[in-house]
Amino acid sequence: MSSIVNYAGWQPSGSLLRRALVGIACIALAAIAQSAEAGPREQAKRLHDRLAGVPPAEQVLATMEADILAGNPIAAAETAMDNSAFYNVTLRNFATPWTNRDQTVFAPLNDYTATVIGMIRDDVPFNTVLSADILYVGDNGLGLPPYSMTDNAHYEEMEARHVDLKTGLVRTTQSTVTDLPAAATAGVVTTRAAAEAFFVAGTNRAMFRFTLMNHMCNDLEQVKDGSRAPDRIRQDVSRSPGGDSRVFLNNCIECHAGMDPMAQAYAYYDFDPERGRIEYTPGQVQPKYFNNDANFPFGFRTPDDRWDNYWRQGTNTRLGWDPSLPGSGNGAKSLGEEFGASDAFAECQVKKVFEAVCFRQPSDAADRLALQNIVGAFRASQYRMKTAFAETAVYCMGD
Amino acid sequence: MDSNTTALPMRPTNAGKVFAALLVAAALAGCSSGADTQENPVTSVASSPDYTGPAPATDDVQSFKIEVWDKVRPDNRCGACHGTGGETPGFARTDDVNAAYEEANTVVDLTSPGDSRMVAKVAGGHNCWESNDAVCAEILTTWITNWAGDAAGGGKSIELEPPAEKTPGASKSFPDDGGSLFGQTVHPVLTRYCADCHVAAAPTSQSPFFAEEDVAASYDAAKSKINLDDPAASRFVVRLASEFHNCWSDCATDAAEMRSAIEALAGQVAPTEVDPSFVLSRALTLTDGIVASGGNRYERNVIALWEFKTGQGDTAFDTSGVEPALNLTLSGDYNWVGGWGIALREGKAQGTTTASRKLHDLIKGTGEYAIEAWVVPGNVVQEEARIVSYSAGTTDRNFTLGQTLYSYDFYNRSDVTDANGDPVLTTSDADEDLQATLQHVVANFDPVNGRSIYVNGIHTDDMEPTGTGGSLADWDDTFAFVLGNEVSGDRQFAGTFRMVAIHNRTLTPEQIGQNFEVGVGEKFYLLFGVSHLVDVPEAYVLFEVAQFDSYSYLFTKPHFLSLDESATWGGIPLEGMRIGLNGAEPRAGQAYKKLATTLASDAASEELGQPIADVGTIIELQKGPESDEFFLTFEVLGANTNVRTEPVPLVSAPVDLAPSPDIGVRTFDELNASMSQITGVAMTHPEVVETFTTIRQQLPTVESFGAFSSSQQVGISQLAIEYCNALVEDAGLRAQVFPVFDFTAGVTTAYGSAAARDALLDPLIMRINNTAFVSQPHPDDVKFELNNLIDRLTVCGNSCAPERTATVAKATCAALIGSATLTIQ
Repeated sequence: MSSIVNYAGWQPSGSLLRRALVGIACIALAAIAQSAEAGPREQAKRLHDRLAGVPPAEQVLATMEADILAGNPIAAAETAMDNSAFYNVTLRNFATPWTNRDQTVFAPLNDYTATVIGMIRDDVPFNTVLSADILYVGDNGLGLPPYSMTDNAHYEEMEARHVDLKTGLVRTTQSTVTDLPAAATAGVVTTRAAAEAFFVAGTNRAMFRFTLMNHMCNDLEQVKDGSRAPDRIRQDVSRSPGGDSRVFLNNCIECHAGMDPMAQAYAYYDFDPERGRIEYTPGQVQPKYFNNDANFPFGFRTPDDRWDNYWRQGTNTRLGWDPSLPGSGNGAKSLGEEFGASDAFAECQVKKVFEAVCFRQPSDAADRLALQNIVGAFRASQYRMKTAFAETAVYCMGD
Repeated sequence: MDSNTTALPMRPTNAGKVFAALLVAAALAGCSSGADTQENPVTSVASSPDYTGPAPATDDVQSFKIEVWDKVRPDNRCGACHGTGGETPGFARTDDVNAAYEEANTVVDLTSPGDSRMVAKVAGGHNCWESNDAVCAEILTTWITNWAGDAAGGGKSIELEPPAEKTPGASKSFPDDGGSLFGQTVHPVLTRYCADCHVAAAPTSQSPFFAEEDVAASYDAAKSKINLDDPAASRFVVRLASEFHNCWSDCATDAAEMRSAIEALAGQVAPTEVDPSFVLSRALTLTDGIVASGGNRYERNVIALWEFKTGQGDTAFDTSGVEPALNLTLSGDYNWVGGWGIALREGKAQGTTTASRKLHDLIKGTGEYAIEAWVVPGNVVQEEARIVSYSAGTTDRNFTLGQTLYSYDFYNRSDVTDANGDPVLTTSDADEDLQATLQHVVANFDPVNGRSIYVNGIHTDDMEPTGTGGSLADWDDTFAFVLGNEVSGDRQFAGTFRMVAIHNRTLTPEQIGQNFEVGVGEKFYLLFGVSHLVDVPEAYVLFEVAQFDSYSYLFTKPHFLSLDESATWGGIPLEGMRIGLNGAEPRAGQAYKKLATTLASDAASEELGQPIADVGTIIELQKGPESDEFFLTFEVLGANTNVRTEPVPLVSAPVDLAPSPDIGVRTFDELNASMSQITGVAMTHPEVVETFTTIRQQLPTVESFGAFSSSQQVGISQLAIEYCNALVEDAGLRAQVFPVFDFTAGVTTAYGSAAARDALLDPLIMRINNTAFVSQPHPDDVKFELNNLIDRLTVCGNSCAPERTATVAKATCAALIGSATLTIQ
């Protein structure tokens, strides 16, 4: 019997209960006002709350407090991240919004989310998240439905059973469990969940945009640059929307000039909603790249999956592209490497962690300096995400 | 099949024969086999005496007679002066068609009808019978083209001629000041003298509306009429000085006043100097270019044609040459569009019912037709909008091409539809065939196959809903032809028309493809001289250029060539080409700036030379096609280099954000996991799962306090109650958590002392870490509140039911773990 019946039994006292709740809430808020006087124990609790999302056990709290007293708050943060809730709650909710167009946290567990959690757990350099041949699946011993290219049952079962993601995930490769060749894998970009969300229908620009948003922390509005050459803008983009070419010259071109030559990297990918799986057609450009090709017949007609990063010049040099890379290539993997090696990528990961742990954006000079320091530590640790979490949580753990 | 092949013997020479021929054509149309036949355009014009002279001596004379002579010889055309015994050349003489033919040959160019002396004369203002000289020239060109047949247009090789050498010069551009300078100089003259007509609200409203009170709107409309580099050459001045257009005193004085105002404006605009470091081609304006033929349209069965070339006024002329001309009157909110076209927002273009009748007559004769249009739907949200209609209102029509969101609608009245043309043929909404961009659309109807729609040369695959076409016998000849709305004015289509044609035969897929490939609007080849940069005689970079719309030019087909046929070249690098405009390089649209290629005469195999890029681009329009001066710049061309390096962009200083709290609320999964950890109840407990699944999205999803609401607190309470219920109901679990508390005792015993109560409260408070934190409520305060709660819940004392002890324990537990003590982190 659910609690509804029991709750009904309390109804005569319900108002008293509510008053009690309000009273306790007030006491709590009064105490919070004193947080400036917090000490190591407070700091330890906040570290644990922010990283694991749950209160610490007394013993854990004591250990963390001792580490902080000993001048090693990072060790305390690492302790907090030992809690399974760090994986089951914090990281799951950290990554889930990246896996769907609605950016909802309520999406089911999927291979994209699991791969992010697994990479963080195993300290896999996170700058490979958009390029590696990597996948995390449930342990064989759990008796789950096998990983499938055509459905998400494997992960939904893990979720339904509340499988501990700290222990239940096993690393494998996409080229092993799917029919994608290793060269066609590109980290989370080529997971089934990402394909279902961003390769389905449309023109594959969604994959580019959401990758930019989720892993470079820039939407197209922030990277507009109408001075790039428009020679790679596809034929489907009207040069005179509604009969007014000013709209193209002043708006459309600002995103498409840079986006289209990079989204060309996905020219061989599609998601087949009928079969429920990613499609990869090496050497054959997907028909979606020729949608509405009569809109502007003089536009670019995609011949292959060659991509070029036009944003290496102009205002988007601020994204900090790696000069050791060529800035062009073929396919999703090398584009993922281009993103992963940029300053913007590293900063984005730390920014996301900052918001998850500090509950706010970096707001002032002190925050911005801290961010840069944490980015430095993140890169120096071979892009170990737990380092980013620990360093950020310590920065925000209070005095 | 060539568009100009004609079956001359079937052509009638008067209205009676037209009718007879139509009957024959209709009969033939019903046959399933037999030779293709040629339909007969209406050739009735103003009354003209029947011809009684010698018969045409040859087929060509016969063709001349039908296509030209019958149309020009009436007294209200050329016959008034160039008739028998009149002025030379006597191409309209009525006594001997063979003699007229010989005279006509002296003033026509059958290989290029548009270049005929007759056409040039009429275009120059020589006794045009319409209100617009260009329209007469257009019609005359059509007639001569029809006469010429195979000889005209098709297959004509392009003759590229070297343009005059012109170095890109400093040029004045209109200041981007919203019309401030214009408002002080030219605008007062316009509003004072031109506002009777050139404002939208005028009773005799004439586009363009450059005399509006709104300076910015007026400025926008006036730019193309002002030449800042040469004020005297401005259309505003020329119109008064040379064309004597509605002068307000005497034309010379008025023109001087206008010139003076424009000079006052131009004098305050500094010329844009060409950067001396640029590697420059020679310069051209659009009108310096060579008209690109671009292939022939298939117009053999055109019975009405609107190309919107006049660019001003309130009439869209039917230039099909098929009489009577179905000229359309523009009304409401409309604009002429650069590069030929009209844009309608709240307006329409409608013909008279009398003139519209020719559609009825000629289409009923064949039983089939095609509506062809180059249109730009203004948006993809308008519904039941009429693009092209021949109707009487919203319930009666002969045909209509319309728009509903992303679909084209095609209504045709026949004996298998109702009077409104329903059921309608609509293109699949999923296919989104209609886009808010320039599209070529053809709506075909024939009695056997019914309706079909082609967009940009491709059949949309939408099938005739009735399965057949049916007869057009019920068509009504009292309806009116209209563009952009219903005749009743309540089905507005917002969009641009670049061309509309009505054919009284269907167009085959090949013919549709042919017309789509030709495109719309006038195109020019611009030859940018570069011989001064490379060691190749008469070397040019060629572009095909057209005015794309009112705001830009379309540049396509870049080629490198030499007009010296003996010239050879090779190994010439060309990199970083940009299009220059009025002394500067426009920022947007430089599609060739990443170009890197090598020029070699071996690659110049095409008619236009060596192609150097596949893509086209658009470049902003600044002063108009007669004034805008184009040139090319190169980073590398031959030995000339001017490699650009982009400046490092400035990074703006970050702005501090408003301070925000550094604490927040626990979110849904965190609450679930926390309550599970505190109570020891597994998250997989069935009742917990049921409740959590129900209220999950009611719980906080973000940490921000600002997003916290009372409904979320209710959800938190429900979840807390569920966990505490599961804890207390599980005897084993509660014994672990509360090893001392006696759940079996009555309330007076279980809660009878502080020690007894502590057995319940202390484990709870400890598990929630509410010990010795200055940021949390003190345990004594918490205990005080919870004791108060217990007091209130146990007032029944000995009369309480036995299960009351557990119920109070649940309530106490829920009050604590559902409170801010846990919720806030």
